Amino acid sequence: MDRKYYDEMYDAQGKCRPHYLEFARWLAAIPPEQLAQRRREADLLFHRAGITFTLYGDEQGTERLIPFDTIPRSIPASEWRMVERGCIQRVQALNMFLADLYHEQRIIKAGIIPAEQVLANEGYQIAMQGLNLHRDLYAHIAGVDLVRDGDGSYYVLEDNLRTPSGVSYMLEDRKMMMRLFPELFAAQRIAPINHYPNLLLETLKTSSPLDNPNVVVLTPGRFNSAYFEHAFLSREMGVELVEGADLFVRDDKVYMRTTAGAKQVDVIYRRLDDDFLDPLAFNPDSMLGVPGLLSAYRSGHVVLANAIGTGVADDKSTYPYVTEMIRFYLDEEPILKNVPTWQCSKPADLSHVLANLGELVVKETQGSGGYGMLVGPAASKAEIEDFRARLIAKPEAYIAQPTLCLSTCPTFVETGIAPRHIDLRPFVLSGREVRLVPGGLTRVALREGSLVVNSSQGGGTKDTWVVEDLKNAE
Amino acid sequence: MRLSISHDTTYRYDSQVRTSIQYLRLTPHDSERQRVLNWQLKLPRPVRAQLDPYGNILHVLTMDEPHESILIGASGQVEIDVLCESEHESQSALPFLRFTHLTEADPALREFAQLHCKKRRDRSALIDLMHGLHGHISYLTGSTAVETSAAEAFAGQQGVCQDHAHAFLACARSLGIPARYASGYLYTDSDDHLASHAWAEAWLEGAWYSFDVTNCLTKPERHLKLAIGRDYLDACPVRGMRRGGGTEQMHAHVEVEVAPMLQVQQQ
Repeated sequence: MDRKYYDEMYDAQGKCRPHYLEFARWLAAIPPEQLAQRRREADLLFHRAGITFTLYGDEQGTERLIPFDTIPRSIPASEWRMVERGCIQRVQALNMFLADLYHEQRIIKAGIIPAEQVLANEGYQIAMQGLNLHRDLYAHIAGVDLVRDGDGSYYVLEDNLRTPSGVSYMLEDRKMMMRLFPELFAAQRIAPINHYPNLLLETLKTSSPLDNPNVVVLTPGRFNSAYFEHAFLSREMGVELVEGADLFVRDDKVYMRTTAGAKQVDVIYRRLDDDFLDPLAFNPDSMLGVPGLLSAYRSGHVVLANAIGTGVADDKSTYPYVTEMIRFYLDEEPILKNVPTWQCSKPADLSHVLANLGELVVKETQGSGGYGMLVGPAASKAEIEDFRARLIAKPEAYIAQPTLCLSTCPTFVETGIAPRHIDLRPFVLSGREVRLVPGGLTRVALREGSLVVNSSQGGGTKDTWVVEDLKNAE
Repeated sequence: MRLSISHDTTYRYDSQVRTSIQYLRLTPHDSERQRVLNWQLKLPRPVRAQLDPYGNILHVLTMDEPHESILIGASGQVEIDVLCESEHESQSALPFLRFTHLTEADPALREFAQLHCKKRRDRSALIDLMHGLHGHISYLTGSTAVETSAAEAFAGQQGVCQDHAHAFLACARSLGIPARYASGYLYTDSDDHLASHAWAEAWLEGAWYSFDVTNCLTKPERHLKLAIGRDYLDACPVRGMRRGGGTEQMHAHVEVEVAPMLQVQQQ
């Protein structure tokens, strides 16, 4: 199958794009042996730093190094400004949607989104009904997954409003590039990103009405695939990393056990799913949460970031409505496009999907991490038939989208340098204002032709640059 | 009808409990059907009341001094409007369409619901369903545990009121009818003190209707409601956790009786 992909570095005529010229010059000049040497160095440094990722569905539970590719993904600043505005607009609308959904439900009354679609959704939390949150913010930290189609236009693939991860790779990849190739950063202006932990801490502090709240990072523990990131962020922010057992609730307040006695906690940056937060209110088998946390939260004595119940807004079956949300709440046209989506819960959509399984990408509405999805063009006959049976058995659990021609970026592979498909996850912080650091995490599908970039599915990462545009006039 | 309740629960532990926390839903609130005349909770320490996600009155009892027992007492009088068969609600019933782990409808429960209701989605259909479940799951004390799911109780054909309610919820939701779990007290004429109780409610034509599978009752005239939720875990009177303490022994004593009118009026 011959597809026309948009390549980030080279245009259709094979000419290097202006924002990659400096890098291309450098790449041509550096002796191959020196480059290979530095790439080996990168592997070693990542190993030493312990940046690993536990693979789910792997019987050994092996910790695996996320492959790091030394060819950066570069975005011209003018293009980034559009992406940035688009992400801010989207996250603003999503936060307004959540506040509306848990209060007046104007969007339902206006007939824009069906009541059953959201109120009977698994991500909808009755515990949030009528609860007032400081600044009306639900998703303080959001990760917006973007891809580019054949013509280079950006599409939002999904919004991650629960506990989006990956920002530590974004920061470590940059640190690594600066360490290995400082000359690249001297030769051109690449927007810095190392202030992210400061912005995150500021965001977490402003999520509380208190002046100087006590912030902690709550992790499920070291067996979680993102534990490295939890430890990394707490260290970078200079706040405590805690597990559920380190916290307790007394009289509707949350305390942390310390050697100097109990200390009240005001803001919890929790990297634990809703269902595990409080075994007395949610999953009773959860050993990871804090008994009584929900009562403390509903009493207003502690802030959870992100809030409980954001999952209803990033559910893949809610996704098709986001463009309408932007128009409804902000009275603006969406800056970033949505991928056309078939909702298998609708009989007409389902029959279209079943008739075109070989062409489409099918995803679980509740899934994440690239587990439980079908990429039609890359799937075997047996895989397609397996999905057909699943779709017929439980259509409401799936959506389908056309297979996008994800853009490519030159990447080191065994045979040299070859184009591989990539995506982009900018991290959007909502506090007093909505902010992003320039760029985000670029994930790359290392297998030739693969469109699945998730690290759990053999994806790697790249440093992401936002570079000043080269103006011909200058 | 005025019901007078006296409900004492004692938890005793083999060894000292270091800390414990309990979510208590032991306080009824006024509704169309019931009016709380007086109600007292006796707890080891004072606790502020709050509303839980379902609007139930919740007390969170936290104990962080070592203890070997906990005594919880609830008592009071409630007037039940025996003529009121349903209750209205301003919040959407749609979240009660969702299955929970305990109320998941497996193929057997779905089939059972279809068999009894066919295309009907009204109260008479659910009454038939209630009778069907009453016949299918025999009441047997101790036959199931708190973590038994609707599907397991249905397959085993034995259970208690909690299982009856769960099976009903699973069936009703599989038919697209929002349904919720109710916990509270039941007044019975018999001697066998069936006092703490659970039943189901279904959303029909804009109101919640009661379905007590265990007693085949659709008029909740003998039912005092404490709490509602999606299943037992949301609505149960006591849900707690502790550190230390070894084995727990729980002893509950409930008395439900019809209060003499005169005595109440004098209060």
